[in-house]
Amino acid sequence: MATTVAAPPSRAATLKYEKGIWSWLTTTDHKKIGQLYLYTALAWFLVGGIEALIIRTQLYGPNGRLVSADTYNQLFTMHGTTMIFMAIMPLSAAFFNFLIPLQIGARDVAFPRLNAFSYWIFLCGSLFINASWLIHKAPDGGWFSYAPLSTRTFNPGLNMDFWVIGIQILGVSTLAAGFNFITTIINMRAPGMHFMRMPVFTWAAFVTQFQIILAFPILTVAVVFLLFDRFFGTQFYEPAAGADPLLWQHLFWLFGHPEVYILILPAFGLVSEVLPTFSRKPLFGYPVMVYSLILIAFLGFGVWAHHMFAVGMGPIADSVFSVTTMLIAIPTGVKIFNWLGTMWGGSLRFTTAMLFAIGLVCLFTIGGISGVMHASPPADLQQTDSYFVVAHFHYVLFGGSMMGLFAGVYYYFPKVTGRIMNETLGKWHFWLMFIGMNLTFFPMHFAGLDGMPRRIWSYDANQGWTNDNHVSTIGAYILFVGMLIFVYNMWRSRRSGTRVGNNPWDAPTVEWSTPSPPPPYNYAKIPQITSRYPMWTREGPHSISAAYPVGAPAEAPEPTAEELHIPMPTPTLKPLLASLALTLAFIGLIWHKQVPIIILGLALFAVVLLSWVLTPLEPEH
Amino acid sequence: MTVSHHPRRPLRIAVTLVLALALVACSGYPNTTIGAHSDVGREIDSLTYLLLILGGIVFVFVEGLLVYILIKFRERPGDTTPAQTHGNTTLEVTWTMLPAVILAIIAVPSVRTIFRTQAKAVPNALQVDVVGHQWWWEFRYPQYKVITANELYLPVGRTVNFSLRTDDVIHSFWIPQMSGKRDVVHKDRPNYMWFTPESSFVWNGACAEYCGASHSNMRFKVFTVPPAQFATWIKHQQQGPVFPAAAAAATAADTSKGAAATAAVAAAAPADTATGTWPRDKLPSWTIPETPVPANVTVAATSGDATRGAQLFKTGACIGCHTIQGVSPGIIGPNLTHVGSRTTIAGALYPNDIEHLRLWIKDARAMKPGSIMPPMGKGLPETMGTFTDQQIADLAAYISSLK
Amino acid sequence: MATIALPDSHADHHYTATGQTHTKIAIWAFIGSECFFFASLISTYLIYKGRSVSGPCPHTVCRGLHPILNIPVTSASTFVLLMSSLSMVLAHSAVVRGDRKYSRIWLATTALLGTTFLGFQAYEFTSFVHEGLKITTNLFGSTFFTLTGFHGAHVTAGVLWLVTMLFVDMKRGLGPRDAINVDVMALYWHFVDVIWVAIFTLVYLIQ
Repeated sequence: MATTVAAPPSRAATLKYEKGIWSWLTTTDHKKIGQLYLYTALAWFLVGGIEALIIRTQLYGPNGRLVSADTYNQLFTMHGTTMIFMAIMPLSAAFFNFLIPLQIGARDVAFPRLNAFSYWIFLCGSLFINASWLIHKAPDGGWFSYAPLSTRTFNPGLNMDFWVIGIQILGVSTLAAGFNFITTIINMRAPGMHFMRMPVFTWAAFVTQFQIILAFPILTVAVVFLLFDRFFGTQFYEPAAGADPLLWQHLFWLFGHPEVYILILPAFGLVSEVLPTFSRKPLFGYPVMVYSLILIAFLGFGVWAHHMFAVGMGPIADSVFSVTTMLIAIPTGVKIFNWLGTMWGGSLRFTTAMLFAIGLVCLFTIGGISGVMHASPPADLQQTDSYFVVAHFHYVLFGGSMMGLFAGVYYYFPKVTGRIMNETLGKWHFWLMFIGMNLTFFPMHFAGLDGMPRRIWSYDANQGWTNDNHVSTIGAYILFVGMLIFVYNMWRSRRSGTRVGNNPWDAPTVEWSTPSPPPPYNYAKIPQITSRYPMWTREGPHSISAAYPVGAPAEAPEPTAEELHIPMPTPTLKPLLASLALTLAFIGLIWHKQVPIIILGLALFAVVLLSWVLTPLEPEH
Repeated sequence: MTVSHHPRRPLRIAVTLVLALALVACSGYPNTTIGAHSDVGREIDSLTYLLLILGGIVFVFVEGLLVYILIKFRERPGDTTPAQTHGNTTLEVTWTMLPAVILAIIAVPSVRTIFRTQAKAVPNALQVDVVGHQWWWEFRYPQYKVITANELYLPVGRTVNFSLRTDDVIHSFWIPQMSGKRDVVHKDRPNYMWFTPESSFVWNGACAEYCGASHSNMRFKVFTVPPAQFATWIKHQQQGPVFPAAAAAATAADTSKGAAATAAVAAAAPADTATGTWPRDKLPSWTIPETPVPANVTVAATSGDATRGAQLFKTGACIGCHTIQGVSPGIIGPNLTHVGSRTTIAGALYPNDIEHLRLWIKDARAMKPGSIMPPMGKGLPETMGTFTDQQIADLAAYISSLK
Repeated sequence: MATIALPDSHADHHYTATGQTHTKIAIWAFIGSECFFFASLISTYLIYKGRSVSGPCPHTVCRGLHPILNIPVTSASTFVLLMSSLSMVLAHSAVVRGDRKYSRIWLATTALLGTTFLGFQAYEFTSFVHEGLKITTNLFGSTFFTLTGFHGAHVTAGVLWLVTMLFVDMKRGLGPRDAINVDVMALYWHFVDVIWVAIFTLVYLIQ
């Protein structure tokens, strides 16, 4: 709503915001926001990893006593919550932010300030929920927080209060971004960029946003009920009032299952970008790859109760969900074959990005196989809630999502920063991660089939689980070393990595036509798209024998937006202020329901919001 | 294919022998779900084998193909730009249909097994009501009016039909070596699950749905015994406590079929023939818990007097939570009428011996995090008792005599 | 292959692939999302219908308490909200043709009707509390107040939006170039109205 009431800031004021920390706090540039997401998400990934390391150390041998049972319950809850909501999702968001406008030939997203707000409210929410560690009252109900365990009756402390509020804050971030990216992809594609010419990553992102805007409201409602029960005394999950303990599970998994596809599809998209580039041939079966994305998203709303095979829904419900779950394996499996088909007949060059992409193909297959095993309810009654399912979801989330996301990081790092990451360190990272991951999680299949339940704090030596746990813990430490190497590589490459030109990988899609890094306005002139692979000829990449990085870095600096007469959004602090105000209201809620603080927070939010919507995005011209 | 609930004797013996062999072979993995020992368990096994085999085939095929591709098509000097293939409809249709066929091969037996194993139990099944509590399991035999906790006795060859409820949060009832798990969800509407144990042994059970502080410590033991022994056990459980109840007020809980026990205080442990319980010395090692005791819980007493202990029990806070037939009516905690003949205590967390009993009574909350049972030792934080260490030893002597 | 041409004037600045504005696309995505939000709330209400173990019931005498929903009064408030959709259409039409007088009248009318609806809701909520139905009382109270409360919050947001529009109109006047923003606001307003029709039918009318 760009109705002019307030006068836009002067040009001098605008220039002041372009450098330094202030430029980050006030940015509306999707490329900067993408980087903010990237570094924040990686930081939370490390935090979640440390939580996992403590868990694994506690479980290394029988009857470990590194941490108390109470701390352990907080650790596994926060590990899951952190990895899902504060690591994988924002890592995907980093790519959504940075890549989508570039891949569709646009200058920014549809709502740049809303975009910034999505980031800041994510940061606030993640800090909010992790602040609970400072008082040793981190959420301890499990990442999916089943009622009635999560109600005030059975969990009266602050722990779950942090969870319910934190999740709501994080949900705001994700939803806002969903509306933004849907509008961007529908409305801002460059001329000639038909839907069936879009890069597969953008398709994956597009489909993911639809899942987000439809699934997150269901989570919001489920958590609102729990929040109201805990804070206002409603009866949604109180069995004594006649409530159904399964309501939480149905609502949560109606969200939760689309959520796992939200977690994996972006990684699938990244792999679909990386494999063709390093195979030197197009993606095999582009239309099917697109249709399977849509089918997965659609079917993903019809399988939720396969998380509930043990609750006693009855044979008909069990059978229906078993069949729908098996159905969804088909479009998913087809993708694996299409990726294999992409590499078949190619000329494969194993850069680090390529290795991670291949890693996803290899490891997600294993996760997919164990997933199909879960789809048979009678067999699942042995597998569910045991370490077998822990193995399954780590294979698909670590071996799947994280591998794909790391592939994306190595692949797009040169576009983001103008330098490539060190390949030797990258390969160390990959192999340590690949080996560590398999050592950590493969034995869990055995532990589960050998009767080890989930979420147990310790176990006896005579149960037959010790060896599996030994190996898992060693694997976890190997993973951690790999991560340290990655962090060092990122830091070092940012400072002194080899500089690159526009298209160091000789990649096919249009974002590789921009300088590395791209100027604030992305494209000097909005490109006209005439094919799926604008940067390749009909015969493929230009030269497949050249070493990476291909091409030389630009000599002269790019023209500025002013010189090109491209109006740019004005940097503004309002998204950050709005996030802080909203968070203040939530702090008021958790802090003994201090109504004045809640009202103050909401009032400040309304004021900032009003000022925001009444200020035009760009200076009037 | 119908499931026979009463296999013929020779078949039963043969199966038992084979399974015993398998047991020895798999003795490194005592809780394994593969090679289950009930009819339903074996049906699940068939499905699991099918899944593992098909999964293995897919794994070898896909990963093998991947490895082949990585080797065959790796970049070599002098490579020309590869053919820019965009797809192949025939191939794509094939690799869509083939997985669909494999899934159908899985779906059909899965759905059949679902309906078979979730059909109503046979009318003459043994009924066991299971109630999950934070963090222990209550077992009731309504047909025999027996209430016990944490140790479940089942007759071999007879179908047991569990009615599964919870008293608080959602738990999950799981005996990996017997069958799949089932959640306990509602207070009033039970879930049902049945199976027929096929061999006589001791099995570990556990809660498999995260249920709070001591989820890890919510274990139980299952004893599948020959029907004659089961009958003996039931008869014994129906009787009052072995220790004579001295001038106790009759309570509503006194519904025992037998009279209040008049047997002399046992100087020696009751033989199996009397109680039907599994002999302690025949317990497989993996059914004996090894939980370390917290360092800060100690009881400085060497011997206890059961008679003094009985008196302390009757006048202490214990009666508010525990039932001992003819002695106390409490229903918050486990029924203790025959607790002395159980092999474990505290939700199968510790072995049932005098040392552990004393420590448990002194400070249950330190022994088991979050335990609803408060400490009973004098001066401890949150304690609900004023028992000195000697009094605790007396109580433990009394409790352990309730065979 | 893309042809990357030389920098140009900002002629390409307002280009959109669909010809619609961003806000138009975004509001439809938002409405789709809100459908799932309200569907979850309504489903929960329906699942819990008739399962309260204590306290008042919506349509029947139970536990010695008279049925608590007042259909005639709520029908009146529903009528008011439906009329506000009509005035919203008229407001949009006035803005499109640049009729400053009527754009203000109809925007103000819509805001007023919306506020009247909220007034009815406030009256209903307070009378229910006096009659013994609070949000904490039973499943009916929890689901009813949460569902209608969130709807009321959406109406409130809409009224604030209308008032802001009105304020802008008074300051500088809304003309045909603002039609799209009024259109987007109207879409939101009609959506909120449609949700109310669903709630009124499923909660009040169907017994």
